[in-house]
Amino acid sequence: MIGYLVSVLCMVLTAIVLQQFMPAIEGLYDARILIVPLVFLCSSVTVSMGSMLVLAFICGFLWDAQHLPGVVADLGNTVYTRPAEMLRFGYSIVLYASMGFLMQGIRPLFREGKWHVSALLTGVAIFLYLFAEFMLITFVRGEFILTRGIMLKISFCALLTMLFSPLVFWVLFKFAALFNHTIRYDGLKTRRRA
Amino acid sequence: MKPLNLLILLGFLAGMVWVITLSEGSVRSIQASYYRTIAPFVKGGSQLELKANAFLREVEYSKDLEERLHRTELEFGRLGAIEGQLRELERENNELNAALDFKRRTEFTVTAARVIRRQPSTWWKTIEIDRGAMSGIGRQVPVLASGGLAGKVDRVTPGRDESSVILLTDESCQVSVQVEGTPEVGIVSGQRGQIGEAPLLRLRYLSKDAPIRPGMKVVTTGRGRLFHPKILVGTIESFEPGAFDGEALVKPSVDFQNLTIVFVTSAPDNTSHERKEEE
Repeated sequence: MIGYLVSVLCMVLTAIVLQQFMPAIEGLYDARILIVPLVFLCSSVTVSMGSMLVLAFICGFLWDAQHLPGVVADLGNTVYTRPAEMLRFGYSIVLYASMGFLMQGIRPLFREGKWHVSALLTGVAIFLYLFAEFMLITFVRGEFILTRGIMLKISFCALLTMLFSPLVFWVLFKFAALFNHTIRYDGLKTRRRA
Repeated sequence: MKPLNLLILLGFLAGMVWVITLSEGSVRSIQASYYRTIAPFVKGGSQLELKANAFLREVEYSKDLEERLHRTELEFGRLGAIEGQLRELERENNELNAALDFKRRTEFTVTAARVIRRQPSTWWKTIEIDRGAMSGIGRQVPVLASGGLAGKVDRVTPGRDESSVILLTDESCQVSVQVEGTPEVGIVSGQRGQIGEAPLLRLRYLSKDAPIRPGMKVVTTGRGRLFHPKILVGTIESFEPGAFDGEALVKPSVDFQNLTIVFVTSAPDNTSHERKEEE
């Protein structure tokens, strides 16, 4: 179990490196493949709740360290008295954990070998993650804005990312076999059929 | 729930509280350490993106590019000559100002930088440039591009020659501006949710009966100690009077879709500017 968790952590770190090589695709509303959330979501369905929370904390922390811009206006500035509110550092940890819990909900199906359901749910989770992130920004800044461009951006991001989930699951199964970590219980499948 | 899972859940919640209550300084320090660690990969990714973009553009516009390069070279020569004249005029102006006992205007130095990465994050409109701490660039300094104001430096990685710029099209980049030819001043910023379209800026806090017409120029006021005065921001697209104040949409003077070279300026000399305003 520990060996598998360490290997998943290494995968997360590799995903962070690979994420640097993923450009936004201008033709698809600046959509991009979100490798770090993808690795987290695929991993979260293969581990226990405790391990998922540890992964959520690490991924969310590193994600915010990379992406969150700073507070814009100087304190005490008399001109910029109403700066646009920025999300707090660490909000991604909550989002990652929420999506992790969502993935854990279908863990029984995954353990029966129905990984394709999890692959589809990965896309749904990415969509919900980005939507929730945008809604959080809207909430802290006020004024509800939801345009067609935003929905298309979120949808394309989710779709593109989901396409790579079978590959991540394949790598995870390889690691599980290497470290003797049991993900799939074929017995459950057989019993239900009988 | 298993005792171990409960312990981890409690640890997770404690960690969450710790992270969310971190001060701005601590967050900046964490981000600086993070960027120092992954800097080689960020650079690698940026270079790959640059090469891919250059290749795609070359394939698409090789002849067009050649012609544009030729035109740019001619324009560069012409601008060089104009700059020489302007420097002379600036020197003369400074001398006259000194003779009249006016405050000498601040030196306006710029550092040219190449955009090495566009939109590195999902929602924040930022770019990364190949000039940073090693080129003497600090945080919150204005960034110009061909046409006018482009944004300001948000993050500078210590010990590296790279920095991140938050663009004017981002909602969090606010600039104090004035509509030229009127006494109207307001705050301009980007608008949320403008994806895949030519962005428009939002100019707020104008008078509800402001005499503003489409086509009027919008320039920085220099107030607020962040931007130099009289930098072009854009032109008025439309004006909408409200119950208490007015709002205008501004077309940026910078082409944000094709931003490749930017100029990082020195921080404005605020004290002298504010003193001048008082005078």
